[in-house]
Amino acid sequence: MNALNARIRIVWVLRSLVGALILGGAATGIAVYRSASLSIPAGLTALFVSLGVVHAILRYRSWRYVVNDDALYLERGVFTQVRTEVPLVRIQHVDSRRSAVERLVGLASTVVYTAGSRGADVTIPGLTPDDASDLRQRLKGLAIDADGEDAV
Amino acid sequence: MKLAPLSVPYRALQKAGRLAITLVFIGSVGTEVGFSSALVAAGIGGAVALALAYEFAYYRRYAYTFTDDTFDIESGVLNRREREIPYGRVQNVDISRNVIQRLLGLSAINLETAGGGSTEAAIRYVTADAATTIQDELRQRKRGNAQRRQAGAETVDETEGDAGDGDTDSMATDAFDDPDETVLFEISPSELALAGILSFDPRVPGLLFAVFTGSIPFVSPVVPEPAAVATTGLDPTVVLFSMGVVLLVGLVVLSWVVGAISAVVNYWGFRLTRSETELRYERGLLQRYSGTIPFEKIQTVTISDNPLKRRAGYATLAVETAGYAPGQTNDRGSEAAVPIAGQDRIRRLAEAIDGCEAGVFNRPPKRIRRRYLARYLIALAGMTGLLYAVSVSVARLAALPWYLPLVGVFLAPVAAHYKWLHRGYRLGTNHFVTRNGVWNRETKRVAYHRLQTVIDNRTLFQRRWRVATVIGDTAGSLSLLGDDAAAVDIEVDDAGTLRSELRKRLQASLADRRRRRTTSPVTQDTEQSVNEPSAAEQTESGGNDAEPTVVDDTGPPTDNDDESSPAEPGSTDG
Repeated sequence: MNALNARIRIVWVLRSLVGALILGGAATGIAVYRSASLSIPAGLTALFVSLGVVHAILRYRSWRYVVNDDALYLERGVFTQVRTEVPLVRIQHVDSRRSAVERLVGLASTVVYTAGSRGADVTIPGLTPDDASDLRQRLKGLAIDADGEDAV
Repeated sequence: MKLAPLSVPYRALQKAGRLAITLVFIGSVGTEVGFSSALVAAGIGGAVALALAYEFAYYRRYAYTFTDDTFDIESGVLNRREREIPYGRVQNVDISRNVIQRLLGLSAINLETAGGGSTEAAIRYVTADAATTIQDELRQRKRGNAQRRQAGAETVDETEGDAGDGDTDSMATDAFDDPDETVLFEISPSELALAGILSFDPRVPGLLFAVFTGSIPFVSPVVPEPAAVATTGLDPTVVLFSMGVVLLVGLVVLSWVVGAISAVVNYWGFRLTRSETELRYERGLLQRYSGTIPFEKIQTVTISDNPLKRRAGYATLAVETAGYAPGQTNDRGSEAAVPIAGQDRIRRLAEAIDGCEAGVFNRPPKRIRRRYLARYLIALAGMTGLLYAVSVSVARLAALPWYLPLVGVFLAPVAAHYKWLHRGYRLGTNHFVTRNGVWNRETKRVAYHRLQTVIDNRTLFQRRWRVATVIGDTAGSLSLLGDDAAAVDIEVDDAGTLRSELRKRLQASLADRRRRRTTSPVTQDTEQSVNEPSAAEQTESGGNDAEPTVVDDTGPPTDNDDESSPAEPGSTDG
């Protein structure tokens, strides 16, 4: 079982920070409008930020993935734990992508697509760019080797 | 090949009709500004002429061809498009004809492949004969294609699954022109009537609501003024309340009538037939639909019923493929759906389609009923609280019977029990079968080789109860609504086993199919694996000249705990 790169926590924290700041901004706006004390929105923002940080850490701890001989196995989730098995046979195509924030900390994601209707795309975040493209190549190779059957 | 010549005026009138409506509207407004009616008439005439010219060009440009491997369509007047669809990728071929089209002898064809948000090829109007020819031709080409590829044993990789069906051995190339169809199901008048009675169209109230909110000015004069009511000596709230009740009842009756009519019109003459590789349906009174669904493309078979249907001995069947886009399924549902039929007929029909045997379901642990009960009670409490809050805060609604939802407290244990009772899963020889639903009980059957991903979910609350949900995701289209085959609330340990078991069975099933695909057709016959009793084989064993096996009302009695039989409390405690 592989863990994600630890830097992914930075990405997640940054993301929750954005959300917390937006919410905090809105709360501040309301407080100013109703001329209430600013300590409430400040406290709320602090709460959101700390929740975001804790969630990011827990999320990082819950993430595991492994490529078996016939399936890609993922385990993740803080509140709802999700374990997904993607049979290599079912892989349609594989992407690696890097968002702006991910590039900032030097990380990349690999996205695995199946023809399934739910969870059609399985994303593995927090990989170094090399790992991501290695994983992509490996999955591609394994998927080709696994079978040629029509995936639908 | 070309479209039907009559499609030119038909399409032109369709287009011009829309234009004309706009023009008439503009005209009616414009006459006041000084547009003469002659100008409007000239505009309409011009629009028709323009549409005719465009459609003629469209007709000239449109061509479809059958090549060796693909079905090609060239089209477009201003923007040209050439589309090639490999035969092996075709999922469904549907033909529809409405009343006017039938008078003109036109048919519309829709061709679906998996993926993509819309219909891959919509051929707008060929002659009825040509439509049937296209359907047949596509089927034969597809078969021929699969077979040819199998003949070249070295090209095993991309082979379409059709070839692995075991039906190839006896199928000489000259058998192509022989559709040899057997009738699987024909709707009887009583079933059609019942389907109508049981169809309540929930979209009607929404539609009416949308219409009426737009016409509040028309409605409000009907609603009596409180002052006017006061003179009659009646309580205004009572009058308002009774009017509301009348309106509600009217709405329900109307929705029901509309639902009944649309169901009867839709399922008029519903008929399912089976050829070696395909399921074919026909239905419709005003608009006639017919289409084919290759067995190889069937993803899930769903049998559903509710207590009323169970008591009367009826059930509903739906067959799902990966072809339809979500937007399209919403209005018509699964194409090969049997709206209602006797349980035995449904059971045998389903078995004929997917070859899944009956069996006993594993239920979630009994303790989980307490969780369901708690959930229902919380919901009831929330509802009551909300109503109470409304009755307190809004003075006019003070008489609101906010305690009414509390009646549900007596129903909650029953519902919780049934929720548990109906839940379950089983691993068949070739199928993963799940069952869910308190009122509307749905049994989903997914062949192992149809599984895409296996997802194991444990929410915070589920973890507290030490249970998990295992979902078998397929490429079906209805599942977009999130109702995949799911074994809900099973023991955590079972979930782990089930997950790995599903993966193993998927691999085994695929390996088996691969092996049978690569072996020559001769050995294939002897190597009948237990893993693939496909419907096509059953046709074969019956011989091509076998009597049509109509699934009628006079079937053998059935054992009990299968999916379409009434649930018996405590019969199986998994």
